[in-house]
Amino acid sequence: MRTNEKVSADADADAEVVCVQLMLGLVLHLPLTLFIAHSLYSINLLSHPSLTLSLISVIQCPIVLLLYGRLQKNRKHCSYLKAAGRGLLGLPTGALVNALGAIALGAPVGTQYFSQTLNWSLMMSLFTIVPAATVFGSSWKDWQRIFAHTKPMGSVDIIICLPAHGAVIGAWFGAWPMPLDWERPWQEWPICVSYGAMAGYLVAMVASFGYVAVCARMQHVKRE
Amino acid sequence: MSSSLTCAKLTILTITGVTIQIIGLSLFVYGFFPVKPALSGVSGAESFRPPTCTPLHNQTDSDLPPHNLKSLYKELSGIAPFDRLVLMVIDGLPAEFVLGKDDKPLPKALMDAMPYTQSLLANGMAIGYHAKAAPPTVTMPRLKAMVSGAIGGFLDVAFNFNTQALLDDNLLGQFLKIGWKMVMFGDETWLKLFPGLFTRHDGVGSFFVKDTVQVDQNVSRHLGDELSRDDWDLMVLHYLGLDHVGHIGGRNSILMAPKLLEMDKVVKMIHTSVIADQENGQRQTLLVVVSDHGMTYNGNHGGSSFEETDSLALFIGLRNHVSDYALYTLNTVYQVDVAPTLALLFGVPIPKNNVGVLLSGTFGSFTDDQQLKALELNTWQLLRLLQAQLPGLSCENSPCDGFNDDQGCRINKCSGNIENTICCLYLKATMLHSSWRLKDVSSRPYSREDYSGIVTAYYEFLKTATMMLSCLILLSLIFSFYKEVYNMKMQQCFDSKYSMHTWSLDETFILGVILILVVSMGSSSMVEEEQYIWHFVTSTLNILLLRKMMQSLPVEASRSLFGLYKGNKKIAFQMCSIFVLIISGRTLRGWHQGGVNWTYLPDISKWLEKAGSNHVKSIQLVSGLLMISLCLFALSLSGSRRKISLAVGFSFLMFGLLVLQHIKKYQDNIFVSSNYNATLLVQIIFAGLGIATIGTFVAYPWLMPICISKICSSHRSFMSGSVPIEIQNEYPLLELKNSLYLIGWAYLFCWCLLQLLLQQPINALPMLLLFMQILASLIYASNGGVHHKQWVEIAALYYLGMAGHFALGNSNTLATIDVAGAFIGMSSYSTLLSGILMFIITYASPSFFLLSIVMYISVDTSYLVIPQKADSEHLLKNMLAFPCLVPLGVNSIILTAYTIVLLLMRNHLFVWSVFSPKYLYVCATTLCVYIGVSFVAATVIYSYLVLALRKRMQGFSSIDTR
Repeated sequence: MRTNEKVSADADADAEVVCVQLMLGLVLHLPLTLFIAHSLYSINLLSHPSLTLSLISVIQCPIVLLLYGRLQKNRKHCSYLKAAGRGLLGLPTGALVNALGAIALGAPVGTQYFSQTLNWSLMMSLFTIVPAATVFGSSWKDWQRIFAHTKPMGSVDIIICLPAHGAVIGAWFGAWPMPLDWERPWQEWPICVSYGAMAGYLVAMVASFGYVAVCARMQHVKRE
Repeated sequence: MSSSLTCAKLTILTITGVTIQIIGLSLFVYGFFPVKPALSGVSGAESFRPPTCTPLHNQTDSDLPPHNLKSLYKELSGIAPFDRLVLMVIDGLPAEFVLGKDDKPLPKALMDAMPYTQSLLANGMAIGYHAKAAPPTVTMPRLKAMVSGAIGGFLDVAFNFNTQALLDDNLLGQFLKIGWKMVMFGDETWLKLFPGLFTRHDGVGSFFVKDTVQVDQNVSRHLGDELSRDDWDLMVLHYLGLDHVGHIGGRNSILMAPKLLEMDKVVKMIHTSVIADQENGQRQTLLVVVSDHGMTYNGNHGGSSFEETDSLALFIGLRNHVSDYALYTLNTVYQVDVAPTLALLFGVPIPKNNVGVLLSGTFGSFTDDQQLKALELNTWQLLRLLQAQLPGLSCENSPCDGFNDDQGCRINKCSGNIENTICCLYLKATMLHSSWRLKDVSSRPYSREDYSGIVTAYYEFLKTATMMLSCLILLSLIFSFYKEVYNMKMQQCFDSKYSMHTWSLDETFILGVILILVVSMGSSSMVEEEQYIWHFVTSTLNILLLRKMMQSLPVEASRSLFGLYKGNKKIAFQMCSIFVLIISGRTLRGWHQGGVNWTYLPDISKWLEKAGSNHVKSIQLVSGLLMISLCLFALSLSGSRRKISLAVGFSFLMFGLLVLQHIKKYQDNIFVSSNYNATLLVQIIFAGLGIATIGTFVAYPWLMPICISKICSSHRSFMSGSVPIEIQNEYPLLELKNSLYLIGWAYLFCWCLLQLLLQQPINALPMLLLFMQILASLIYASNGGVHHKQWVEIAALYYLGMAGHFALGNSNTLATIDVAGAFIGMSSYSTLLSGILMFIITYASPSFFLLSIVMYISVDTSYLVIPQKADSEHLLKNMLAFPCLVPLGVNSIILTAYTIVLLLMRNHLFVWSVFSPKYLYVCATTLCVYIGVSFVAATVIYSYLVLALRKRMQGFSSIDTR
C-alpha cells in the first residue's frame, strides 16, 4: 500500500515536471515551427500545406517521444528506449486511424490529396495516439479509460487525454467552413482542419497544464 | 408508472398537433408566396395618355369595333411598323447556344449547329439578347411572363402541371381586341392558357419527355401550308423537342446538334418565305425567336442558376441592320422585357401588370422622336402600376400643366425616400423630354446630348420601378405555434421513462444535430450545400456509436479478433453494422457531388457515366440482383419457415425478376424506351407490387399461425426470447413481432423494386447501399439489449434518411428533380400520377427509412421492459410513441425554424433563388414524414388489433374444448 502511494505521488510530481517541459516544448513549438517555416523556407500552410505539416511532424516527433517517455507507467519493467520504440510504432498506426476517421467524415480521396492526408494524419497521430502509445503501450484497459470513457485519473492521464481530445474536437470544428462558398484558399483540405486541430491542441494543453498545476498545489497543501 | 398520458390522450394530442401544423403551414404558404400585385382590367387607349391627366378614363374606346380600335391605337402611338408576328418558342434553349457566353466567341460546334441564324446575326439582320428569366424556370410561368410582362408568384411552379387560363391583361388579349387572327402549333400549354383564342391550332403534349422527334414534326408539318396563307396575324410555334433532349441526355447529348440544326431550318424557312423578300407595300412581318428558360448541364431546369435562367430573345426582320450587334447581345435584359417591346412594336397598349422595360436595340431604326415616345409610353404604364402599389405616389407636377422647363433643369439629384425618388426621376425625365421637344424647333445641335440625358433618366426611373416592384411583394405573416404540444409530450415521455439515466454523448449529439441544422439554415451557402452537413453529422454519430461500443468491450475479449467474436457475439454484430454504416455512408457521399457551388468536382457517378452506359447498366443489374438476394436473406432471418411467408417471398421474387427483365430489355435505349411493351410491363409491375404489398398488409395478420403453447417460442432465434411467459400468453407479442417483421419486409422490398424501376440507372447502387444501411441499423438495434435508447435510434434513422436523400443526387434547388423518371409506365399524361411518381423518386430515401421503422419495431426489444400491470394500451403506446413522435417532432422543429428563417430572410437577395425552393423541399419532407408515420402507425395498430382479436377467439375456443 505504502509503496503504491509513494509511486503515485512520485508519478504526480514527475507529471508536474514533465508538464512544464511539455508546455515549453509543445506549446511553444507549434508557433515556433510555423514561424521558422515562414522565415527560413518561406513556406506556410496556405502555400505548401503538406510540406509545412511534415515539418511540424518532424520537429514534434522527438519532443513527444522524449517527454512522454518519461511518464511511462512502470519504469522498472520498461526502459526509456522501449517506450520511445512503442511511440514510434504508434505513429503509423495512429496515422492510419486518423486518416480513416477523416475519410469517413468526408475528407477527399484521391491521389492528388494523398500527401496532404498523409502528413495531416501523421501530425494528428502525434497529437493523439503517440503520447498514449508511449505511456501505456498495449494496455487495453488504459486505452479504454482514456479514449472510450474519457475518464482520466491522475495527472498523467490528464496530460494525455485532454490534448488528444482537444485536437480531435478542434479538427472537427475546423472542418465546418470547408463547404462554404467564400472561395478562400484556406478552405481547402486539410488547411482549416489543421488550424482547428492545432488550436484545439494548444488550448487543451494549456488547460491540462493548469489542471495539473492546481492539483499539485492542492496536494502540497494537503501534505503540509 | 405515474404517467398521466394515456394512449387515447396521446393519440388525440398528436393528431391535433399535426392538424394545427398543417393549417399553419398552408396559411403560411398562401400568405408568404405572393400572389403577385396585380391590377385588374385591361389597358385601353388611355395608356397612350399621361397617367395623371385622365381623371376618368372614358369607356367608349373599348367598345369600338376591332378595326377602328386598331387605327385608333396606331394614331395614338405613332409607332407601329409591324403588323404580323411569328413567335417561335424553343423550349429550354439556352441563349449561350446562339449568342455565346460573356465575351468569348461561340465555339465552332455551336456555330455549325445553327448556320443560318448565325449568318443573320453576323449580318445585322437580327438582334439577340440574353433574356434573364425569373425563377422558377418552368414553362408555364415563363410563358405568362413573356406575354403579360409580369413576374408570377413563386407557387406557379406547383400549378405548372395544372395549367389554367391566363385572365390577366396580356399581349394576346390585346391582339385579339384589335381583331387579329391567331394560329398556334406546339405545346398545348398555350391552349390551356388561352382557350378559344386560336383560330387554328395543333397542340402536342408537353409531358411525354421520352419523345424527341414526333413532338417537333407535329409542329413543323403545318409550316409550309401556314406560311403560304395570308389570313393570320400571329403565329405561335412552340417546339418542345430541345427540352426533351435536355431532359434525357443533358446539354451535351448526341441528339442536341441535330435538334439545333432542325430549329435552324425552321428559322430559315420562315425567314426566306415571309420576311426576306417583303417590300414596303406588303404586310410587315417580324419573327421573334424566344426560349422560355435554359437548362443546366444535366438538362434539368427549375432553379435560378445562370444556365437555367439564360433564355434567348432574338428579333429577326427589324430592318435596322445593326452593324455592331455584339453591343446588344452582351446586354443582359430580362425576359419580361419582351412584352412591352412587342406591344410597342405592334402598336397595342402595354399590358397593365407589365414590369418590363422596352429593349432599346429593337428601336434602333426609328427616329429619336419615336424612340422617346415609346419610352414615354412604357413609363406611363409603369407609373400607373406604381401608383396602384404606392397610394402616396401622385407626382403633383404633371406634365400636362404646361411646359415649365425652368423647373426641370433644377432637379438634378434625386434622393429621399423611395417614393420621392421615383417621383423625382419621373419628373426629371418628363421635363427633359418636353424641353427637348421645345428645343427641337430652335436648336438642333444640343438635342443629341439632351436626348441621351432623357434616355438615361427614363431608364433610371424604369430600373428603380422594376426593383421597387419586386421588393414590394407583400408578406402576410400568419403562423401558429404548435411545437409546444410536441415538446410537452416528448418531455413527459422522457420523464416517465428515462428519469434515472444521465445524458450520454450520443444522445447529446442527437439533440445537438437539431441545433446545428437550425443554425445552418440561416446561411444561404449552408442551405445550398446541405448534403455536407447531413453526411458530416451522420458519420460523426456513427463514430460516436463506435466509441460507445468500445466502452462496453471487455478487456479480455480484446486479445484477438477471434476472441472478440467468440466472447461477445452481440457486440461484434453491432460493431460490424457500424462499420457497414460508415463505409456505405462514405461511398454514398462520394456518389453525387451535389449542391450548387462544387458540382464540377469529380464524383463516382460522373466517372461511371464517362466510362459508358454499358458499365452503368451492368452495375444496375448487379445491384438489383444483390438487393433481391439481400431481401430474401432478410426474410430467411425471420426464422419462420411457414408456407405463407414462403409464398409472400416467392411472389415478391417474381416481381423482382420482372423488374430486372425490364431493366435488361428496355432501359438502355433512349430512342425506343417509350414503346408499348415496356409501358405495359411497367404497369404490370406497378399493379402487382401494389396488390402484393397491400395483400400482405391486410391478410397476413389473419392468416399467420398463432400458438399458445411455450414450444413455439423455442425456434425464434432472431427475435429476443426474453419476454415473460405470462405476457406472451396474454398478449400476442411474438406474433405481432413476427407479422410486423414480414409486413415491414414487404414494404422495404416493394420500395426497393419501385426505386430500381424508377430511379436513374446510376442510382441503383446507392439504393443498394441505403438498403444495406437499413439492414445494418436493424441488426444494430436488434442486438442492443434492453437498455438502449429507442428515440436515439429512430432519430438516427431519420438522419440517415435525410443524408441518403442528398446522396441520391437531390439538392435544394428545383433543378435536380428527375422529371424524366416520372413518366415511366405512363401511357397517357396524368398530372396526379406523374406527380406521385415524382414524389416517390425524389423522396426515395426518407420514405425508405420511415418505412423501415415498421421492421425496426419488430426487432426492437427496448419496450419489452413491461411492468407487471401491463395492458394493451401501454404496450401499443410503448411500441408506437417514439417511432411516431420522434420523426414528427424533429421535422416540426426544422419546419418551424425554417419558417422563421424565411421570414427573417424575406428581404435577402437570395430569397427566391435559395430560401424559397428549400422551403418547398421542407414542406415536401413534412408531407413525406406524415405519410410515412401514418403508414407505420396504421400497420402496427391494425396488426395488433387483428392479432388480439384472434388470440382472444382462440383462447375462448381452447377453453371450450377443455
